[in-house]
Amino acid sequence: MSSTDSHRPEETASEAGYREGFDEAMRGRRAECDGGKGIEGTHFAGRQEFAGVLTGHYRDFGDYPWRWYLMTDLTRKPSGYAHDGVWCAAESLVFEGEE
Amino acid sequence: MSGPLHTPLCDKLGIEYPIVAFTHCKDVAVAVINAGGFAVLGEAMHAPDHIAADIKWIRDRVNGKPFGIDLVLPSSVPEERTVEQLLAEIPQTHRDFEQMIKHKYNVPDPKEAPNLHIWGGLDQKRALAQVEVVFDERVPVFASGLGSPAFLLKRAHQLGIQVWGLVGKPRQAKKQIAAGTDVIIAQGYDAAGHTGNIGTFSIVPQVVDAARGSGVPVIAAGGVTTGRHLAAALALGADGVWTGSLWLASRESDLNLPLKERLIEAETDDTVYSDCISGYTMRTTRCPWHNEWLSPGAPEPLKPPLQMLLSANYIQGSLDYQRKDLMTEAAGQGIHYVTEMKPARQILSDLVDGALDVFDRFASA
Repeated sequence: MSSTDSHRPEETASEAGYREGFDEAMRGRRAECDGGKGIEGTHFAGRQEFAGVLTGHYRDFGDYPWRWYLMTDLTRKPSGYAHDGVWCAAESLVFEGEE
Repeated sequence: MSGPLHTPLCDKLGIEYPIVAFTHCKDVAVAVINAGGFAVLGEAMHAPDHIAADIKWIRDRVNGKPFGIDLVLPSSVPEERTVEQLLAEIPQTHRDFEQMIKHKYNVPDPKEAPNLHIWGGLDQKRALAQVEVVFDERVPVFASGLGSPAFLLKRAHQLGIQVWGLVGKPRQAKKQIAAGTDVIIAQGYDAAGHTGNIGTFSIVPQVVDAARGSGVPVIAAGGVTTGRHLAAALALGADGVWTGSLWLASRESDLNLPLKERLIEAETDDTVYSDCISGYTMRTTRCPWHNEWLSPGAPEPLKPPLQMLLSANYIQGSLDYQRKDLMTEAAGQGIHYVTEMKPARQILSDLVDGALDVFDRFASA
């Protein structure tokens, strides 16, 4: 099962904690993701870098909103990363030619 | 106050010295704040009510002085799975290797098995719930230890809260400065825990250059453990320093005594940048777990969070039974200069005196 498979459009914002949508303008854009997250069960965090193509699917968390895009076709991912896709915070993305 | 150690960061925070202590210990935070520095308490793994209680505890002891709370905002998240699903993914070869280490080093079982079922909650929802506490309590500074805090800047600023972002690459700094982040922490490879792959001496001036003209102070992080480091950071253009390992063995630190002794004994070479603890590359002090996983013929460490599931019993057992020979902790390369168990106030004072000595030396040359 990949993170692409975790996309479940039938979920409502109140159950899943986010609202889903699709942004056609983002579909197919190549990007790098300066990613990472807290390490389960510890007060540590870990960085992870990805590169791939955005599908255009997004999730908005909270009222800010805090937007996340789905990246697939990963051409760079951490060693051992077994999934086909990854959700990336919008602000962690660097688009091709942007740097 | 004026002088070489008085920087725009001091004015921005109303502090005496441009020294920030990052700590998970409330007592260390209070001691540093009351000695004229600034402290940021790491609360990434705590529930919202715990964070609120810690904030109140600090407030009651610092007489209105400012402080910060650090959270780990995730910036990439794979799908969530249950702990049972994760455990089922650990190969038998890796389980056997873990058992070999356990028997070879007589690693005790933890007094209580790590509660794996509370894991996996460090996702967006949990982070947002933690952030809400920081907002509700109007904590003066919110520091994001990983992901970009750009999405919450507007609300934070409406509430009068400064937002700091920790970066490991110049491009992250540029984005955060453009978004309106108030202070950037430029963290080098020398640092403890998760770091980028750029050394402190290389990343700090690049981030300072990126911030030039923006009015955004830059704080140098990674390996800062002496006054000479503080002086060097200011010479590189930083407005202050972010220190973590420096406080681990302080009198006030709540780490257990054998671990403090281990840290005092540790040399720079004893810190290892490896993914064998958690599956993420991070800098921690070397222990038998590292030696075995980094030896020829050892299995490749698993992806997160499987490797952490594998190492959890070892780590908890070493702490529960105070086995100094087994212990590990996140520590930066500056640990060489952590050589005795001093009160936090004295650590801060030594840092200040050491930096002033450097500036005096240059002034009299």
